[in-house]
Amino acid sequence: MGMTAVEKILARASGKDVVKPDDIIFPNPDMVIIHDGLVAAAKEEMDELGIDEVFDPDRIFFVTDHDVIYTNPRAVERGFKNRIAAKEWGIKNFYDAGQGGHGHIFPLERGIVVPGMFMFDNDRHCTNVGGAGAVAFRIGHEVSTVLATGTVWTQVPKTVRLTFKGTLQAGVYARDIGFVMASGFKKGGFFGMGIDYRVLELAGDLDQFSLDQRVALTSSPTEMRAISIYVPPSAAVRAYYDKHAQRPYEAVYSDPDAEYEAELELDIGALEPQVALMGGPQNATPLKDVAGKRIDHAFIGSCGSGMWEDLEIAAAALKGNKIADGVRLFVVPGTQDSTKRLQETGMMGIFLDAGAFVLPASCGVCASGRLGPTHAGEVSISTAASNQAGRFGNPDSELFLGSPATVAVSAIRGEITDPRTFDSIVQFGQGS
Amino acid sequence: MSAQDWHFRGRCFKFGDDIPHANKVIPQWAISGRHFNPDELIPHLFEGLRPGFHKEVKPGDVIVTGENFGMGPKMNGYIAMQALGLGLMCESMPFLAYRAALGVGLKVLNTCEGITKITAQDDEVEIDFASGHFINHTQNIEEFYRPVPQILHEFVDLGGSKGWLEKWNKEKKAARASG
Repeated sequence: MGMTAVEKILARASGKDVVKPDDIIFPNPDMVIIHDGLVAAAKEEMDELGIDEVFDPDRIFFVTDHDVIYTNPRAVERGFKNRIAAKEWGIKNFYDAGQGGHGHIFPLERGIVVPGMFMFDNDRHCTNVGGAGAVAFRIGHEVSTVLATGTVWTQVPKTVRLTFKGTLQAGVYARDIGFVMASGFKKGGFFGMGIDYRVLELAGDLDQFSLDQRVALTSSPTEMRAISIYVPPSAAVRAYYDKHAQRPYEAVYSDPDAEYEAELELDIGALEPQVALMGGPQNATPLKDVAGKRIDHAFIGSCGSGMWEDLEIAAAALKGNKIADGVRLFVVPGTQDSTKRLQETGMMGIFLDAGAFVLPASCGVCASGRLGPTHAGEVSISTAASNQAGRFGNPDSELFLGSPATVAVSAIRGEITDPRTFDSIVQFGQGS
Repeated sequence: MSAQDWHFRGRCFKFGDDIPHANKVIPQWAISGRHFNPDELIPHLFEGLRPGFHKEVKPGDVIVTGENFGMGPKMNGYIAMQALGLGLMCESMPFLAYRAALGVGLKVLNTCEGITKITAQDDEVEIDFASGHFINHTQNIEEFYRPVPQILHEFVDLGGSKGWLEKWNKEKKAARASG
């Protein structure tokens, strides 16, 4: 019997010919990422145990994206401690505040993460790397075990294959599909099953999705507790990494006789723009159900929509337009490189002319509203990873999710708006 | 550790489906405040669902739950269960909840499909977490569930992540000193 792509990657990382679901393995990661929220705690834990070195400083990456401009004393202290940890452990790949950007985005963009790679990461949104055909497993606080020993016990997950059928309409994007996928996998959802600790492997009509859109596809299934979303690399994705990869790579594909826990289909051709109601992306509903809802706050960014193309879509909508009176719009590029590119391409001017804020590359508002939070009673629409109560700081704000196009046009109109009513979006959609 | 540590016999305490970790297993403040001291946590275990729970239980008692128990990858409630000497058997758990429970050394089975149908509150039950062999003495029913994987027994015996890491470090230092 054959293996799925993720099983092959796990087998290679754990030095085995074959792995199968439910096996317990100890994979040797190609890299380990830990973000600024957990470095100091991991250092303290290891110091207490008398562990004074990490397994391989060169394979460990510190990224800084939750607190980049230190908006409270605790953040200042944590940043200070993170720098001490990096120094004492000899971490060369230390991307401090103002360097790199979002830890689930810049390694993908720069080709630090490449197809076929296996990684551990403390944060669950590491599933982003599946957009490039890599695998990262979230290990939370057990990242200390990995930092010390180089591995941690890992159960091989089952895989569910979901085949896309059809071509997306202009004005409909990967995040819209993500919301629908999440609603399908919720309890009582139309797929009739959950994906807790499952690999969701996508198949079918995938060539229409660029690398950036593939990354967006991985976001919402993560909220339904998928451990990995695997998008088999297209020729275009391989071409990107042929050019940008910082290490040799090999794209991995499932065997034709690989075994799946379930095989599902989704017709994406008929899909219309979606909005996720308060509580999470699984509360998806067609946008028309809430069209016209007045908003106060809008945010474009986060690990789910922080790639360059997400900014391009927003700029296409905002070019020559102003955001509505009474609305504040935060645009948060995923990376320092993107921020520089905004300036080079003139897109920075489009955002500023429209009246938007452009914040430093980071998680932005999505990290508990550390930047640009909402007030009680305010209504927000954003591309955040999720929208449970309190996500943007205040538990009494009403938070909606939409695609970057939906959020941008809603900020212009001051109310939740279908992006297909904007010619610039329809044309952009046809061109991409 | 002896095989005895994997063998529980005691009173069954039943809970339902979809019980989240926060505010049902243990209060949110204990999670947010990063309280990991078992003495602080024990009085609050299941306090919203069964007040006084910690005074009713004895070591060897077994918590039996429905589906999707303990959502949220947090360990605080499992620290209290472990300190009270309790075992945990669930129809199902989110994987990261299961991982958090094992991570503090709790004896836990996460795929006990049908167990809520063959148990009642206060039944006398017996479970070997190493073999999965379950007996309900009150109802005279025997069943087998998927046990804790053999490869993780040492990890659990050492008290989970922290104990395992301590042992790893001790061995590494000993090897370095002798080498």
